[in-house]
This record gives sequence, structure tokens and C-alpha cells, in this order.
Amino acid sequence: MSSSEISGVREPQPDPLKEYRFSEDAIAEMEEIATHYPERKAACLPTLWIAQREYGGYLTPPAIQEVADRLGLSFSEVEGVATFYTMYNLRKRGRHHLEVCTCLTCAVLGAYDIVHKLEHELGIHLGGTTSDGEFTLSEAECLDFCGAATVMQVGDKYFTQLTENNVMELIDQLRGSPDYTPAKLADAIVKIHVPLSSQTGGGSSKPEDLLLPAGPML
Amino acid sequence: MGILNLLFANRDVLNIEDIDVYEKHGGYAGLRKAVGMERQAVVDDVKLSGLRGRGGAGFPTWIKWNGLPKNYDIPHYVICNADEGEPGTYKDRELMLKLAHTLVEGMIIAGYATSSIAGYVYIRGEYVEPAWQVRKAIDQAYKKGYLGKNILGIEGFNYDLHIHLGAGSYECGEESALMSSLMGERGNPRLKFPHAPLPTVSGVWQSPTLINNVETYCAATWILANGGEAYSKLGTERSKGTKIISVSGHVHKPANYEIEMGTPLMELLETAGGIKGGKLKAVIPGGSSVQIMTAEQCTKINLDYESCAANGTLLGSGGFMAFNDRTDIVLLMKRTAEFYMHESCGKCTPCREGTRWIFKIMDRITSGNGQTDDVALLLDVCSQIDGRSYCGLGDAAAWPIVGAIKAFPEEFDYWIKYKRSPVGKNAVPPTPEVVNPLLTLTPA
Repeated sequence: MSSSEISGVREPQPDPLKEYRFSEDAIAEMEEIATHYPERKAACLPTLWIAQREYGGYLTPPAIQEVADRLGLSFSEVEGVATFYTMYNLRKRGRHHLEVCTCLTCAVLGAYDIVHKLEHELGIHLGGTTSDGEFTLSEAECLDFCGAATVMQVGDKYFTQLTENNVMELIDQLRGSPDYTPAKLADAIVKIHVPLSSQTGGGSSKPEDLLLPAGPML
Repeated sequence: MGILNLLFANRDVLNIEDIDVYEKHGGYAGLRKAVGMERQAVVDDVKLSGLRGRGGAGFPTWIKWNGLPKNYDIPHYVICNADEGEPGTYKDRELMLKLAHTLVEGMIIAGYATSSIAGYVYIRGEYVEPAWQVRKAIDQAYKKGYLGKNILGIEGFNYDLHIHLGAGSYECGEESALMSSLMGERGNPRLKFPHAPLPTVSGVWQSPTLINNVETYCAATWILANGGEAYSKLGTERSKGTKIISVSGHVHKPANYEIEMGTPLMELLETAGGIKGGKLKAVIPGGSSVQIMTAEQCTKINLDYESCAANGTLLGSGGFMAFNDRTDIVLLMKRTAEFYMHESCGKCTPCREGTRWIFKIMDRITSGNGQTDDVALLLDVCSQIDGRSYCGLGDAAAWPIVGAIKAFPEEFDYWIKYKRSPVGKNAVPPTPEVVNPLLTLTPA
């Protein structure tokens, strides 16, 4: 048994990074967001979102280290935050992360039927990723759009009023689509923090892209 | 009584998200009126209205607004709690999506009344579309001079509004956890009054902080525009005004309905199109944290704080879920227990461990391994959690289970005795096929 297993350390602390991956736009965004708060530390959550976008949709230890270095925090402080919140991905997800809400209303209106259908059709269990890296399937706690049950979140978009019958149609539309990816979600969230007037290029999401009607997708 | 659209009056106006359309329909009149009044007069108007917090607890809003110290050496902050996470509730989503300007206006009024320097809208990370609308509303308000320096020409009234998005934590809807999260930390709650100062005295960054729900700020906008007295004439004696109820579940027309406080529960159910797929079996009137009511109890309840409390439940955040007679209450409570197990932040031992034990026992019952004393064991575990953690999440995990055992004891007994659902094969929610083996108790 190695010493790290005995002490319960999850992963060894990485060496200081030699190469940072935040682009210039990302740094500008981070500095802009940091001015919103009286303390630089408060920008930790938004900066983790920037890291999640810049590192391709999930947070690796180097990503956490970069956030810590840029905000003047320790690695463990930022790691503690990153592991607390469920929307920060600590490992790679498929191109589309299917999060089916199975909380109370959705559960009684057939969310488990949808989960079982997806498990069967995609050949994966909850938490698994298809072998082509296209889909990851998860259960989500209440997404709070119970009036449009059953709801599934894919990236930055809610898909509503799903049933066992129409969900596969949606999956076919999503397959290969460059939209609604974990990185797009992170990008949209970062953009929302920054006033539109001071937004630089950076990502690709525009508010107009996201304001699709809230009704059924199909 | 019945449907009464105050906040929702302009909900269906085309392009109401745009500031020009909003102004044409009386937008920012409340703010203009407020800045013409003394700061204390604004608070007094809110006091006169009798408005109570719409986030769930029903705490009188004016006490918070009045509670910020009048010493301005340290900056004051205003926070909007838009971390809507309560299962069954989606009112804040619609308010932000369509009436973001009403929220922004309410927050500016609160900023004026409390002499704050900045406001933060804490929105849950999943709400990308509503958050974009708030972003656009804030930017438009800056352009029109409702935000920034010397607002509406008032010397020294400087106020900024920022958006802060969460990252998927139910716990951050609790005010002290929300403040931790806003400061860039894990979303753990802090000790509460009287063991620690109130947020209005020492909140975010140890500064006086005002925290209210989205709906509360929107109601404040209406109150300032139309007068606190007009608001106080609506509703019941102790629950004034209107409340937005998010109706979902087995109903024909699930939607957000704004009702006058004191509307009978059955009237709302009828407005929502009635029960589909069977007869009414149970209603959860205020989000998953409150006690479930049987069909018989539902006929006695009016939707206001006092009537709900008198019947052993709570109005909460207004997450109204109706269930038909195909619903298996025990399976439903198992799913509720799973929710709280997942969302417990892990700070306080009774909640962290207790929510796991509740789920394990519920899972044991619903997998056909229930023991005869499991119901007593559940009640015992629940009593060990209730009131023993820093924040309300522990209480909220225990109440629905205790409430369900009280309301539907025969269903628990049936499951334990016959090891199957009393509702039959078509029960909803169905038992998931894949259960995490680590969480299953082997029978003793």
C-alpha cells in the first residue's frame, strides 16, 4: 500500500505548471469578473467555469492548479470547491451529457422509462459513456422545470416534455451535433457573468442562440 | 380569491423582456416613485404591505430591510436568491425568463432603501436561459441610467448589479451557504442567529447583507408602484398579497398560477385542469420539503401560511405537486430520500449520516426486505435529524418522511408485510432496475 493510500490523499499535488492554457480572452474575462467582487477569491467559481471551457469540458488537476495560481489560492482550496459542486466535471464526459431529471414530478411522469429506454438503446448504464464518446447518461436531481416534465438537460439547453417515444428522435438530432456540449455550457455561463458591452470574442455562444422556445423541442 | 395576476400582469405582453416595452407598461415607475421618497419611507411602505419572504420561510420582508445598520462605514450588499432548487418549484424560472426587468427594478429599489453599493443575483448554474435574460435586462438598465453612478440624477446613489452563477448545489439555496458560495467557497452553511449575527448585520464579506427571493423583489416592485396599502388589502389577515404557485404532477394544465393568498387548494387544482389518469390521491403543497397531504386533508386547506401550518404542512416555496391514485407513496418518499441524500452538503453529521440511513431503510422496504420495526426506525432516525443541523436541509429531509408515515401508514405496512406495492404493477414511480449495490442493506 502506497503512502498516499494510507493518508487518504486523493491525488498527489501536481507540480507547478510550466504551461498555462487560458487564452488572452479568457484572462480578460477572468479579470473583468474579478472586479465584480471586493475579494479576488470570490471569482473562484466563475474562473473554474472558464477553466472547464478552456480545458475541453472537464477539470483536470492542472486546470485546478491554473485557477489556483491565477487567483492566488492554494490548490486544495480550489480543489475543495471543484469537488463540491456537481456541475464541475472531474473527468471527461461524452460530447453530449444527457442529464435526465428523475426527481419527484418527472419520476411519476415516466422519467425512469426514459432512462431505461436510453440505457437500452445506447447500451450504457447510468453514469456510463458510449464507446464512441458521443453520449454520457446521468440522472439529475430536480432541474426545476416540473411544469414541462419530463425534462432532460443537455449542455446549456433543457429539452422538455420528453416521452419514451420521442426521446430517441432527439438523440438522433443530437448525434454529431456540435451544440449543447459541456464546453458550450461552460462558455455560456462565463459569458453571462460579463456585461455584453465588455465581451470579447472567446467562445461562440450568443444569447440569441440559446433563446429557443421553452416548449417541447421536437 | 382565486387567480389574481399582479406580478404576472404583463407576463404575456409581447417582448416584455425589452426595456422600452417594459417601460411602456409601467416599468420602472416603482423605482422612480421610490427614489422620490425618503429611504426609511420605502421600508415603511414594504412594512405596510405585509409582504413576507416568498422563498419558503415566510419571514416578514420589512424586518430584513429595516435590519441593516445605518452605519455606512462598511459597504452594504443586496443579494437575490435565484438558486431555485426545490423539487416542484419553477416560479423564479418564469419570472426571470419573462420579467427580468421586474426583478432588476426590485433589486434597485432594495439597494436604494438600504443604501447598498452593489447587488448580486445568484442564479443556479442550470438556468442558462433565464440567466441570459437577467444579463440582458441588467445591461439595458445600465444604458438607461437605472444602474451605475448617480442613478436617476440622485447625487451619491451609486449601485451596480452583478450576476453570479452557481454550479449545481441545492444547498446553496440556503442563505448562509449561498453567501459562502458567492465568496468562492464550498457551499456549506454557517451557524445561525442567535449563535451568530444575522446576515443583515454580518453577511457576505462580513458586511451587512440583504437576501431575498426573486419573487419577493418582484413583489416589492409592485408594492412601490401601487402602494403598500393596496397590497395589504389582498390575501388573508396574516398572509398578504399573492403567491405564485408552480403546479405540476398529474394535472392537465401544469403551469405557474398566481393566486391570492387564502385560495382553497381544491380551487387551484380545478383551475389547473384537475387530476389526470385517475382520482386525486395526495398533494405536496409547497415543494418536496413539506409534508404530503391526503385527498381528504386537501379539501380543508387554503393556500396561505397559516392554513397550511394548521393542517400540518407548509406553503413553502409554492411547489405544488398533485398525484393520482396510481402513485405509490412509499416509492415516492424513497425518491425524496434519495434527493436529500445526494444534496446534503456533508457539514453536519446528523444530516450527512441521517439522510443516508433514511434512504437505506426506504430502499430496504421497497426492495422487499422490510423489517417489522422499520417504520419505528425511520421515525427514530428522522427525530435524530430534525432540528440538529446548521441549516434547514436536515429538517427538510425528515419532514416529508414523517409526514408520509402519518398520512399513509397503511402503505408502509403493506410494503413491509407483502413486499410489493399496494398500488399494483403500474405504480409510479417505478422502481429503478439499477440500484447502487453499495447502498443496499442486506436484511438482518
